This record gives sequence, structure tokens and C-alpha cells, in this order.
Amino acid sequence: MSERRIGVYICHCGGNISDYVDVKQVLEGIRKEPCVAIARTAVFTCSDATQQDIIKDIKEQNLDGLVVASCSPKLHLHTFRSVAERAGMNPYKYVHVNIREQCSWVHRDDKPSASRKAIRLVRGGIAKAGLMDPLQSFRIETIPKVLVIGAGIAGLRASLALADLGIGVYLIEKKQEPGGWVADMKSTFPNHRSGAGLIKGLVERVHAHEGITFFSGAELVEKSGSVGAFKALIRSGDEEPFSVDVGAMIVATGFDTYAVKEGEYGYGMEGVVTLPEFKAWIDTQPAGELVYNGRPIKTMAYVYCVGSRQAAQPDLEKPNKYCSRFCCSAAMHGAICASTLQPRVRQYHLFRDVRTYGKYETLYEDASRLGSVFLKFDGSAPPVVESNGNGLTVTVKDMLSAGEELEIDVDMVVLVTGMVARENKALNDVLKLPIGQDGFFNEIHPKLRPVETVIDGVFIAGTSQGPKTSSESVAAALSAVSKCAALLMKGYVELEPLVAQVNSDRCTGCAVCIESCPYSAINMIACDTGEVAYVNTSLCKGGGACVPVCPENAIDVLGYTDDQIESMIDAMAAEPLAEGAAT
Amino acid sequence: MASKVDPGIAEKARVLGAGNLTSCFHCGNCTVVCPLSDGDVSFPRRIIRNLQLGLKDKLMESPEPWLCYYCGECSETCPRGAEPAESVMAARRYLTTQYDVTGLAYKMYTSKAWEFGAIFGLGFLVVLLFALFHGPIVTERVELNTFAPAHVIELIDWGMGALLSVFLLSNVFRMVRRVLSAETTKIPRRLYFTELLALPLHFATQKRWKDCEDSRMWKKHMLLVSGYVTMFVMIFGFLKWFQTDEVHPFWHPQRLLGYFATFALLYVTGDMIVGRIKKKRQMHKFSHSTDWLFLILLFLTALTGILIHIFRVNGFPISTYTTYVIHMAILVPMLLIEVPFGKWSHLAYRPVIAYLNHVKKKAAGSNIS
Repeated sequence: MSERRIGVYICHCGGNISDYVDVKQVLEGIRKEPCVAIARTAVFTCSDATQQDIIKDIKEQNLDGLVVASCSPKLHLHTFRSVAERAGMNPYKYVHVNIREQCSWVHRDDKPSASRKAIRLVRGGIAKAGLMDPLQSFRIETIPKVLVIGAGIAGLRASLALADLGIGVYLIEKKQEPGGWVADMKSTFPNHRSGAGLIKGLVERVHAHEGITFFSGAELVEKSGSVGAFKALIRSGDEEPFSVDVGAMIVATGFDTYAVKEGEYGYGMEGVVTLPEFKAWIDTQPAGELVYNGRPIKTMAYVYCVGSRQAAQPDLEKPNKYCSRFCCSAAMHGAICASTLQPRVRQYHLFRDVRTYGKYETLYEDASRLGSVFLKFDGSAPPVVESNGNGLTVTVKDMLSAGEELEIDVDMVVLVTGMVARENKALNDVLKLPIGQDGFFNEIHPKLRPVETVIDGVFIAGTSQGPKTSSESVAAALSAVSKCAALLMKGYVELEPLVAQVNSDRCTGCAVCIESCPYSAINMIACDTGEVAYVNTSLCKGGGACVPVCPENAIDVLGYTDDQIESMIDAMAAEPLAEGAAT
Repeated sequence: MASKVDPGIAEKARVLGAGNLTSCFHCGNCTVVCPLSDGDVSFPRRIIRNLQLGLKDKLMESPEPWLCYYCGECSETCPRGAEPAESVMAARRYLTTQYDVTGLAYKMYTSKAWEFGAIFGLGFLVVLLFALFHGPIVTERVELNTFAPAHVIELIDWGMGALLSVFLLSNVFRMVRRVLSAETTKIPRRLYFTELLALPLHFATQKRWKDCEDSRMWKKHMLLVSGYVTMFVMIFGFLKWFQTDEVHPFWHPQRLLGYFATFALLYVTGDMIVGRIKKKRQMHKFSHSTDWLFLILLFLTALTGILIHIFRVNGFPISTYTTYVIHMAILVPMLLIEVPFGKWSHLAYRPVIAYLNHVKKKAAGSNIS
């Protein structure tokens, strides 16, 4: 350890750090730490010029350890790993110390203490750098094929885009016919294009494309392997399951419509329909008189937010707290269709908030100009739908009429139902994707990694990850396609070497660690003395859950070994602080 | 008690001019910008809501439409182009059709056939009556009182006036009853008597209108009313003095008052007709057929009136008698249709509501102190 030569760089980050942390004092406080060959400060360490300086230092001073004390590693860990690599140093010998988010920003009220804390943090980093071993990332050859699960508008569009890129596609659909929800729709918003027509075009192209193999009535029953090289077991109908090798998967399993309970807003009474039922009906109506089940429909009421934005209630096991966001626009579009077919139809929209966001605002505009009347109700006082012998009566407290209770006699009530996550336990058990509180699949990051999941190589798209319009579903599908392509077209993937490692001499084969791993990355393998734990490095995320549960202390996560962590603790806690910083 | 939504009323309102009713999304800018809307009487948004939903009782009970003078600021401010001022105008038209139990007002407002049929029918009747019952036609000189003696015409005037009063006052009675039935402020009875002077005051001055940002229309309207009242007094009270065969000197009060009233009527109705053609002012942008009819009839009445005078003083007997018949054929249908069943009924509704509003404010003030 004493032979190590470590370079330490302390960043001002403009003034983000140096306004609160005395950077000079930190430099003095760590200069005499063991193995520190060179220590400097920089105004912006991430700047090109300073990166060049560091590379020069590494080469000239023959450094074999590097510490930068700056911002969060989320921002610049890879920047400085790359600096090390460019200077010929193993990138895993770089240690990042966060003295901005974890120090200067949170201790603005106490500058002297902030400076002292920074010294201790940097000392910990230096101690760890003294013990960092060179590591190599793993490389896995990828199979240029993708399994797309679900042949709705998202799955179909994704398959075509992948195949056009030269990536082979297995497209599986649980139902007998491809197309999903959109296949059943005539006019769709915003351009009144036929949904069935769109799907027909996609399906024809999918069938015609050599690169796509389509299986209807098919389900994924087992998944093994890891990113770049999965093995997927597929069962189609009653046939014997068969397996396909793919490098990635896109899950586009879609949504279910909110199931209105009998009696909820009068559901079950003649003339009370859900949004999909309304859509199916209005799609088949000829111009002129609107007729439902033999009765003329002259006056209609829409009740919005049915099954969405639900408040916690004792009789509601899991309220859908989210807004389904497509339904306002869909209902407006339906109202426009109704007004176009029969201009004299009277339509009352009972809403909580109109969320015809973005371009769909014009739908609200058109609906209101075509004669739709809007009534706003409070979520705590929903409308009541009752039969009046002749038809239906909707009672609502209208906030736009100063809370006046109003009765509207109507011929039809449309319950504007939202999207809910599709119940699909069998598939969830196979995929093991994390599911959010709302029941939909969770992405890693809603803004920056919107279609990636914690399982490398498995992407989500469309309404399986939350309520979306068709166009948003397709956008997500194409986003997933680009992530697949980025992964597979290189031919290999490189995986972080910061994975768990089992010391098989110590391992007793108790298998406690297997339970602790959320990624199923550990299994037991036979050895001379029986069985020991084995880590599948392509599945391991280096989460470290297995480390503390091991009774024999037989597991270490590379880059975060017990020795390294303990040395950090010792260095951080060491007394006294360097001269001049002791106060 | 829940109010019943009546979709038919919104459709009626559309026919009566509220074309953009459903464009309103109730931001309330119109109410905020209105210089006449206050804490006690809030409009136009509330009126629009009641029309949109067809809350008939609320409409019948609301005095607000008569408290608006259509300055048009709300329509200029409306972010949706929903034309709130025109919706309030439609509400006034609707109420005019509803106060009248004969159903004639509704027919006049919703059917052009009825509207023009009634005007032309009555006009034709007047011509027919003159043709049958006129006095001797003196051609040597102008003897209008031989052709149509003032004492006979005066009796017919009074008979017609009584008929109009019965219709109009019964409409006013229904309006007052409905408006007061929904009044929540406790109003002591005596206030209705002690504040009675407010009624003629509002009738003569429309002083609430003054508070609109642009008071030019109020001034013009004042001029119109002064001309109309002058003429009304001379015809209904002093016809024998007004309709003479003797040609007074120019400065004689009979001639001067006549000239003033004619000028006021011609100038203001002419100005309004031009305004409605040019559509520059917000209140002139939309014209219902009833608006045109009222203005044109009033203009033609004044025009034929002054023509009678010109022919008479210049000694054209036949032209005088003919113009007199035409004048009557316009004046009589205008009064019979417009005063009880048409746009002119506002001459009674507005001041009565302004008076009630005045009494209400007084009552509220005394409750506080």
C-alpha cells in the first residue's frame, strides 16, 4: 500500500463547493495523507483543461490511484473513470468523493464544520484508493434478436422498426388476433383516423416482413440467461413450448379498462355504459338519429374520472390515485363524433378537471363549440345516476353554478373509465419486473430512462407502463426499439465488474444469500466439499444485499470490499484532523 | 330542492341570439370586468350559466338581465369569444317572451313570419280603416282635421293606450312577482312606498347606465327617450293642440317641441341603424330581426311624422293625408306589437327592476346600520 501513488483533486465547482467549504484548508488537511503523491485544487475539475492536466499528472507522476472530490458520482463518476483510462490507468482505481451534494450544499449554515467534514470525506476516498484493485468489465456477445411481448399498436410498431433495422423479431400475442384495443376502433383522436385501418396496415406489414416471426395465442412461460443472451420459452396454444434465443425483450402487454362495479354510478342499468362500450356503440352509429338498444338517444351525460384519481376509501382495497389522462380526450372525441352524427344531441359533461392536454385541447374546444355543456363536480361529491322509469336522471352538485344541485334527465350515461394495469400474474412471475404502486411496470427513471427496467435487456413500452394515448404508446415503443438497437447492434455488451464475489473456501453452502438477491443472480453449484454459492456476473447488479446476510462473511462486492470500506471508516474517523483544520 | 336542467331553453336562447353559449367555460372575466356587476347582483356569468343549463326558475327569478345596458366590455374581454353581452341580450329576449302569457311575444321573437305578418297585417288594417272611415278630403287647402279629426284620433289613442297598459302592466306584474319570490334580503314593505320616487327617476334617466365605462350610448339614449316622451305627451295628452290645421309661426312651442322630438328620434335611431350596419361598437355587432324592426319602425314613424308637417305647412293636401295614413300604418303596429310583446317593453322592465334593486340596496343598508 505504501507504494501507491495517488493524485487528489479538490474541486471548487465554481463556487458551489468553495463558497461553503474552504478548499485550500481541505487541500492542506489531506496533503500529508499516506500515498498522496500530488494534490491540487481546480475551479472546474470536469473542464477539458483540468482533465488534460490530470492526464498529464498521471503520466508524469506515474500515479496509480486517483481521487476527485467534487459533485455527485451520478454526474461525473464516468467522466473521471474515463480520464483515468485515457491516462493508461485502470478506471476502477478511480475513487469519487462527493463534497457538494453531501457536504457544501447541505452545510451552508456552518462553513467551518463543512470544511472539516470535507477533509474527512476526502481522507476516506484516499484510503479506499489505496486499496482499489484493477478490474475489467465483462463482455457478453449479444444475439441480434428481440422478443416483443404483445401485438397491440406498440408491439406491432416496435417489431416493424426493429426488423427494419435488421434485428430479428419474435412477436408473441396472447390473443388469437393481433391489434389490441386500437384494432376495434373506427375514428380515433386527434385526426379521426380509423384505428382499425392503422392496425390493418401494421399487421399486413408485419406479416410480410421476413425479419418478424409472429405467434398468436402465445405466452412467455420461462425466461433464463441475461442481457444480450436470453433464452425465452414460449407456449403457443396446446403445442409443446419451444425456446428462442434473444438479446433483448420489449414488454408491450397493454392495459385493461377500469372494471366498473355493478351499481357504481348506476352501472348495470339500461343506458349506463363505460367509455369502451360507448366507443364501440358510437363507432357503429349511422348519421341521423342515435339509437341504443332500440331507444333513441337525445340527451347524454358523461361522468368523468370513473376509476381514476380515486381517494382512499374503506371499501376500496387499492384506489387508483393516478389520472388516466387519455380519457378526457377520448370522451371529448366521442362527443364530437356524436355531435357530428346528430347535431341536435344534447351532451352534458360532468367533470372534475378537464385534462385534454397538449394538442388535444382543441378537442375540448370543438366539443364545446358543438354544443357540449360542462359541469364541474367535486371529487368528494360524485354525481348520482338513477332510473326515473322513463330513462336516467343524473344528480350533480355543479361547482360552476355555485354548488347548486341539478338534475338532468338523460337517455344515456357514459362512465368515462380510465386505464388500469393488466392483471397478468403468470407473466409477472416470469419477468420479475418491478411494479409500481399503481400496478403498472416501473421504468428506471421517468425522465432519463423512460423505457428501461432494472433488468438489463428488458424494456417496457406502451400502456404496460402507465396510461398513454396511441401516439404516446408508439413513441415509447420506438424509444424501446432504439434502446434495443443500441444494445444489440454493437455485437456485445460490457458489464460493470462491480459484482459480488464468493470466497468458496469460506462458503458453507447455506444458501441464505440466494434469498436475499432481488435479481436471482446467485445459485448453488457443486464442488468438492458439497455445494457453494455461485454469482452469475451478468445478472448481478452489485447491490450487496448478499454481503451482510452471509454468516461466514464469504461474500464481497468488488469495488466495495470489506477491507476498502473499513479503511475508509478508519481514515474518516482518525483524530486529530491536520494542523490548521483542528478548530 | 334540485333544479331541473331543461335543454330546450339553451336551444331557445340560441334562436334568440345566444349563438356562442356553449363556448363559455366560466372563467368569470366578464363578471369581473363589468362595471355594473357587484356583490349583490352578479352577472353576466351567472346568466350565461342559467341559459346553458336551462334553469328556467333561476332565469325567471333573476333581475340581472335588466340591470345590464350592453356596454359590451364583457364580450371584448371574453377569452373564448363567447359573446357574454349577447347572451345577456338573449336572456332579455327570452324573459320578454316569458313574462307575456299570451304567447304572442314568443311568436314575435322566434318566427319572422309572425313578426312581419303582424306588423304588415296591422298596418294594412289601419290603411283599410282609413279608407273606409276617413272624413271628407279637402283638396283646396290642407285640412287634416277634416280628413282625420283630432278628437276622434285622440279617443282611439286612449283606447289603444289602455289596451297596451293592460298587457304591459300584467307582464310587469308577473316579472315582479317572480323576482321578489326569490329575494333573500328582508325588505320592509314601507320602503317600496318611501322609495317610490326612484321608479320615475330611473325611467327618465336610466342613471345606472351612466356607470358603464363608455357613457356616450347613455347620452344618446337619453336624447332618444326625451324625444320619445315629448312626442308621447303631445300625442296622448295634447293631440288637439298638436294636430292642428293652423300653421303656427316657427318659434311657436308646438313647432319647436315637434322639431326637437323629431330630431332626437331621427338622429338617434339613424345613428343606431348606421351603427348596426357598421358593427363597430360591441353592442351593435349582433342584430336580431327584432332589433332591426324596432329601429326601422321608430325611424320611419319620425320620418313620416316630419313629412306630414312639411307637406302641411307647404300646402300639399293629398300628400299630407296620404303620408298621415302611412304614418299611422307604421305607428300603430309599432306600438301594438313592440310595447307589450316586443323590444320596447324594456321601457317598463328596466326602470321597475332598477327601482326594486334600489329598494333592495336601501334595505340591505338599513339592516347593516
